[in-house]
Formats: sequence, C-alpha cells, structure tokens
Amino acid sequence: MKRFNRLLFAAVVSVGFISTAVNPAFSAEAIKIGFVFSMTGGAAAYGATQKEGAELAVEQINAAAGGVKIAPIFEDDASVPQQGTNVYNKLINGDKVAVIIGPTLSNTAKITNPIAQQIGVTVLGVSNTAGGITEIGDYIFRNSLTEAVVIPNTIKVAKEKLGLKKVVLFYGNDDAFTKSGADVFRKVLQAEGIQILSEQTFAKGDRDFSPQLTQIKSQNPDAVVCSALVEEASGIVNQARQLGIPKTVRIIGGNGFNSPALIKNAGDASEGVVVGAAWNISSTSPLNVKFVDDYTKKYNRPPDQFAAQAFAGVHIAYQAAKAADNRKAIRDAMVKIKGLDTLLGQFSFTEGRDADHTPVVQEVKGGKFVVFGN
Amino acid sequence: MNLLAQQLVNGLFIGSVYGLFAVGYTLVFGVLDILNLAHAAVFTLGGLVALWLVQTAGMSIWLAFPLATLFAGLLGLLLNQVAFAPLRKRADSQFSGLISSIAMAIIFEAVAMGLFGARSVRFPQGTVSVHIWHIAGVTITSLQVGIVLVAALLMVVLTLFIQRTRIGKAIRAVAESERAAMLLGVNVNGIIASTFLISSALGGAAGILYGLYFDALAPDMGRSIELKGLAVIILGGMGSIPGAILGGLAFGLSEVLTVAITGTSNLRDAVAFTVLFAILLIRPSGLLGRGKMREA
Amino acid sequence: MLEQLAQFYAVYGSVINFIGINALLALSLNVTLAAGMLSLGNAAFAGLGGYAAGILTIYFKLPYVVSLCGGALVAGIVGLVLGLPVLRLRGVFLAMATLAFGEVVRIAAVNLDITGGAEGLTGIPNVTKTWIIYLTLAGTAYFMAVLRSSKLGWALVSMREDETAAACLGIHVTYYKVVAFTIGAMIAGLAGGMYAHLNYLITPRDFGFFIAVDLLIYNIVGGTRIWYGPILGAALITALPEILRGVGVTAGPIRMGVNGLILLLVILFLPNGLASIFARVRPAAAKAETA
Repeated sequence: MKRFNRLLFAAVVSVGFISTAVNPAFSAEAIKIGFVFSMTGGAAAYGATQKEGAELAVEQINAAAGGVKIAPIFEDDASVPQQGTNVYNKLINGDKVAVIIGPTLSNTAKITNPIAQQIGVTVLGVSNTAGGITEIGDYIFRNSLTEAVVIPNTIKVAKEKLGLKKVVLFYGNDDAFTKSGADVFRKVLQAEGIQILSEQTFAKGDRDFSPQLTQIKSQNPDAVVCSALVEEASGIVNQARQLGIPKTVRIIGGNGFNSPALIKNAGDASEGVVVGAAWNISSTSPLNVKFVDDYTKKYNRPPDQFAAQAFAGVHIAYQAAKAADNRKAIRDAMVKIKGLDTLLGQFSFTEGRDADHTPVVQEVKGGKFVVFGN
Repeated sequence: MNLLAQQLVNGLFIGSVYGLFAVGYTLVFGVLDILNLAHAAVFTLGGLVALWLVQTAGMSIWLAFPLATLFAGLLGLLLNQVAFAPLRKRADSQFSGLISSIAMAIIFEAVAMGLFGARSVRFPQGTVSVHIWHIAGVTITSLQVGIVLVAALLMVVLTLFIQRTRIGKAIRAVAESERAAMLLGVNVNGIIASTFLISSALGGAAGILYGLYFDALAPDMGRSIELKGLAVIILGGMGSIPGAILGGLAFGLSEVLTVAITGTSNLRDAVAFTVLFAILLIRPSGLLGRGKMREA
Repeated sequence: MLEQLAQFYAVYGSVINFIGINALLALSLNVTLAAGMLSLGNAAFAGLGGYAAGILTIYFKLPYVVSLCGGALVAGIVGLVLGLPVLRLRGVFLAMATLAFGEVVRIAAVNLDITGGAEGLTGIPNVTKTWIIYLTLAGTAYFMAVLRSSKLGWALVSMREDETAAACLGIHVTYYKVVAFTIGAMIAGLAGGMYAHLNYLITPRDFGFFIAVDLLIYNIVGGTRIWYGPILGAALITALPEILRGVGVTAGPIRMGVNGLILLLVILFLPNGLASIFARVRPAAAKAETA
C-alpha cells in the first residue's frame, strides 16, 4: 500500500508540475523549443547524435552576447510512435513550446505531426526524408533533403562517371526510410535506363548480409545500389569486400550512409563507396568548418549528417522564432526564410516547405568523404 | 555450383553463431523450465565489456576474452539472485520469471547504453588478425572457421561435462526433479546458480565472437538475435545442447537456402518461422528434444 | 476546475487513449492466461484487426463501427483457424508457436502491397474517441467479469489448475480452449482496429514481438486473477514513461533503467500484481473472486 501511495504521489506531482507550466511561451528572454528525438530504442544511434548537434547549437546561441535565448526541452520518444504522440501533447499543450524540432523517425512524424498541425505549432523535421511528411500541413517543415532530391542527382553523377549499365538494388524492406529510399532508387534507375539485375532485402538489426551478397556477387553487377542506414551499411560494405566483390564494383548509398561511423566501422572496405547526401563533412564553408571543429572538440568524435542537420535546424528555427511573438508568426517567418547562411549552404524552403539546397555526391577516399570525381 | 557452395558455407557459419547464442539459453531452460529473456542482454554486455577491456584498458583480446566471459558469468549469478531465486517458490514462477528477466534485460540494456552510447562500436582494427581464403571460388575467413570450431568444441565439451562430471550429473538431477535431487543430497541452489554462471558465461563468449566477426557492437544488438535464438532452441529441442547447435545450423541453413533458391531475400525470415511453426505442430519435441513435457 | 480538466486532457489525452487500448489488449490476453495458456500471438491479432479495419475503411468506405467489427471478425476467424492446431501445445511451446505465427503476420505486412509495406497503411481517418475506447473497455471488462462466473469461466480455471483432472470431469478441454483463444483474438482485433483509427496509420512494427511481450507484462504486473488486474497493469506501464518524465527523470538511458527497475520491483514485491493492493483493502471481495 505504501509503495502504491508513493507511486500515486509521483503521478500527482508530475501532473502538478505540468499544469503549473501553463504560461505564455513567448517571453522576451527565451524561446521554448521542444526537441523530440529517439534517445532510446531502435533509432537511438541516430537520435543521440541529433541531440548532440542540437545541444551544441543551443549552447552557442545562448552563449552569444545579447539577443533572445533558447530554452530547450529535450524529450525522448523511445523510437515508438505512441510515446511520440504523448510527448507532442505534452510539449504543445503542457510546455506551450514555440517550435518543435524532430521527431527522429519519419514513421513517428506521420503520426505526431498532425497533432501539431491541428493546433498550429510549427514543426521542423531535421531527419525525416520519407514522402508524405510536409504534405501533412502548412505548419510542417523540414531541413532534411529528401531521398527524392538526393538520389536522382547521385545516380546521374554515378552513371556519368562510372558508366553504369546493370546494377543490383539492396535495401532494408521493414523500415520506412530505407524502403522509400529504395522506391526512389528503382524509379531513377529505370528512368536513367540502367538495368536492375535483382533486388535483395534485409531487415533492420541484421548483422549478417552474406547470403544476399553472395547472390549479388554471382550476378556481376557494375555497382551495388544500396538503401540502408549506417548501422547496417557498415556491415554490408565490410562483408561485400570480404566476400570478394571487387572494389571496382562500387557501392552507392544515400543519406543513410553519410556518417563517419561508416568509415570507422567498415575501415578500409569503405574506400570507394559513393555516398549521395545533403551535407559534406569536408565542405570548406566557414560555418561548416567551425561546426565540425566545435563538435569534434566537444564530443571527441566527428559529427554525422544527423548532427549537422539538427545543428542547422536549431539555427533555422531560431531565425524564425526570435522576432515572432506567437505561433502563427513563427510559421509565417519560417516560410519567408530565404538564402539563410547555414552549414548546409544557402538555405531556403521550397513551396512545399521542404529543404531547398544543393545535394552533394561524395566518395570515401583516404578515410575521408570527398566530393566524388575530384 | 560455387554459388551454392558459398551459400552453404554462409549458412554453416551463421548457423554456428545462432547455435553459440542458443547453447546457454537452452541450458537454463533445460534445468529450470524457465526462459531467461535477459540472455540477449548478457550476450551484448559480454561483447561490450570485452571491447572496453581491449580499447580502454589496452588488453590483448586473448586476455580480454576470458575476463569478459567471466564477467558475463557473474552477471548470470546476479540474474539468478535478483530475478529468479526470489520467485522460485511462486506458483506462477514461469510467467513471473519471464517478466523479471525482461526487467533485468531492460536494466542491462540501459546500463550498456549509458556506458557505451547508443551507436555501434567496433573492436580496433587488427584486434585479431584475419586471413581470407579463396578456395575454388568460395570465400572463407579464419574468424569464420574459428567460430564454427568453437561452436563444435563447446557442443562436445558441454555434453561431456553434463554427462560425465559430478556437477553435470547434479545439473541433470535438478533438471529431472528438484525435490528428488534435494533428497539425494544435491545442493540445489548451488547447482542452479552454477547453471546460470555457465549459461551466461557462454552467452557472453558468444557476444564477444559475434562482435569480433561483425565489427559492430551496440546496446540493442541482442534484440535481433533473441527471437532467432528462441526459435533455435525450440527447433533443436528445448534443453538439448547438441540440439541447440543443430537447431542453429538448421535455422541458418534454412535462411540461406531460401535466399539461394528464390534468388531474393524477402521471404527469408518468413520461411524460417514457418518451418519453426510446422516443426512445433509435427514434432513438438524439436529435433533432439525429450518429448514428454511439451504436449497435453 | 473545468478548465484544469480540459488542460489535463489536452496534455494527457493521448496517454489516456493508449491506456484504454493497451488495457483492452491486456484483457484479450487475459482470457487465455486465465486458462493457463500463454499466447504471444495477440499482438498479431491486433495487427490483423487493425489492418483489416483500416482496409475496410479506406478501400471499401465502410463506416467506422462496421470496419471495427470487420477487423474483430477477421482476427477471430484467424484465431479459430490457428487455435485448432496449436492449442494442443502447452506452456512455452504454445507461446513459441503463436510467436512464430506473429512473426509471419508481421513479415507478411512488410511484404504485401495492400498493407503498405514498411511505411504502413496510411490515410486512416482519426475517428476513435476517448469515450468509444472506454465504453468498449467497460463492456469488455463487464463481459470478462461475467465470463469468470460462467460455465466457460469455471472450465477455464479448472483447466489452469489441472488439465487432466478437468478432462476427467467431462470438461471438453479443446473446445473451451479454442473458444477462449478465439474470444481473445476478437478482443485484440477490436483494439487493433481502434488503434489504427487513432493514429492515422498503422505499421508492421506496431505489432511485433516486443509488443506481444508488453501484453504479458501488463497482465503479470497488474495481476491475472482479477478482471481489473490487466487494466491496472496496462495503466501503470503505459503511464510510467510520462510519470517519470513528469518527476524529471532525464530522458534516455536513465529513464529506461528506472523503467526496468520499477518493473522488477513490482514483480518481486507484489506477487499477485497491482491488483493485490486493492485486494488487501477489500479482502473479502478479493477472496470471493480468487477463490
């Protein structure tokens, strides 16, 4: 009974905490930004670096003399849409945040973003790349370049430089990101007149890819086109080379490959991997150089694209929110963002509130991501 | 032909990995009739601790391996003390033990994530030197050979241990009937504890080998193998040690052959689980299991 | 006061909805658990119900209630067909067979076109209201309470205690098992349909292995022997992350660890689940029900 009392007490206290938080979010000193990342569960590897990137941005903005500060509220959706929904309701109705940045997963976004849209809270996705996200409504934005933008460019450049004629498509079929990436790859390959010899799939969390890669090897493709996230991508690259798929058969990936973890975990095998993405870590723009330096200093590890987009996302949301005094005004300010200088390049939103900046095609060379073909 | 040969090698290898994971799993089930769902978390922590010893403490893998295995064994003792022993007298200990082991698995995973981060990490390159052989178009690495050999060795040694040694005999006695064993003067609690020690040490060792081969260790890496491990011990016959290894091989081969025969991989897991389902219906005792306790 | 209530609902409405649906799912498992059968297939039944209801709504433009019933019916039929062969298995083996079934259902949902693959079935209207969930929950709970004291209920309890003895007493064991299993599947299917109409979409991951295990956790934590046990368990486990969020336990690994710790403490120190707390308050009433 005592134990239960304590639990009940905790529940009551927690409710109290949140009910007292009913105050206007738009004080002059601090903008409340809610961050919804997957810090535990299946997508924790990606949510963790997003949080780091966002924290770095908030820290730097708040350390700068003068100006409006950011009051960040970080929440974990545990990679589960249910908890994402709960977190959204809490942030929007309880904390009364001005803007939400997140969530990590596209699947979660599809369920949670309608809540924000209905009430009229601006959401800025910093990693959602699946279709049907910004279509949810006029309050939903993202700064993550979608696979639909990145992949056609990648395949075009790869075809030009490598003379691809026949390839194999290899993708994760139980994950929204990798599956929709594969759909784009398929369409683009067909449009470019490149033959798809076969399609192979894997499941999230797989570590052994040798059966599929053995099949792929026997078909002698010009390249392996791969829609995967880095946790699986490293294993694929590694095992492909181990099985004796020669380095002349390039492995071509999208946004999901764009992480230093690929080079770290796959080692030498990652040499020559072609990665089309939204961001190049070795870009020499001053903002990017500073970001990579600061991040590496703070976390003892170079940033990945998740961190970079989260960092840029904070700056974009801050830009829109610092002068606005209500939720509608923030949205209107977001739409007007044009040519904002970010580490992603000159940043604007498209008509459909998607990211509008130039994608890059890189290859791994000497243990670094460099622009492909240079 | 090369293609099929290579696929068979692949299946043999991944099957051995499943078998290694399942051996410890099945041991606890055979003795206690309880599924220890924290086995996957011990597997993960074994691998991560070995990594820590190599990377941070600067040990050679040959020293780190036994130390991390021992650590995993101690985790098993902890599991028994905290999650299983207090529930043993309860009527629903089968179900409640399942839940308390899940609770421990959550705690272990949280600890792993807190200490090592959520990202995949790997052993430094060159921790073990790997040779790659290309024989008649079939690729085999020395690590693969090592893992298959370890699995085979474990199967033999453990079987002998259970059948020949005093402790092994006591374990079998407890598995048959705790009451009878107690009456015969067997220290039942001690035997149960040592079963957990052995089981978890094996799980940890499997985690280290897994991490070494796949170059990727993460707090949730146990999750994807947990379900397959369950399938494997059913397939092999619950509680049977050779059965766990054979079940692992059968499961691994069924996965690989599905890919080889259909040429695509969409159905890989579906076929494996359908086979499991069919085996449960046709021969519920599994490939090598004792039949009596499973059917109504 | 009213304003505060509205505010509370605005913040916690979704938690309240999920508690209701998870409680329904927990009850669906409880039907079979009460007979000593552990099924790990109920998450898959919920998935079947959810997909079927969603498809009926989207492609056949059927009204909400009809779609829900259709979902429950599909789940029930599959439950019946599955139950006939697998219910002769016992204990962990039944659990494994149903688990394998669940995996096959999940993989089918990943690979089929009509279910929308990994991205899930999208465009389901958000029409499930809190009152609908709780009305259904109340109805189901009442049904379960009545069931307990019916002939079926006593048959199930006697089968849990000693199946052989029950058979000797002339209880048609297989028949009752299949009936219980099918009822459980239908309740799960109903809950799945409501879930699908709450979230705009359902995906294969909403009904995987770990969800199946969650249902068992709700039951054991809440207590399996009293009809409101599973409801309490579902409420606590579903609300736990929000409670921890509220008391300021940092997001991430620490919260996950505390979550696990609380689960462990409940299991170790409340042998009959949360329901036993209430049983102690009302010893007479509880005795009557557990006797």
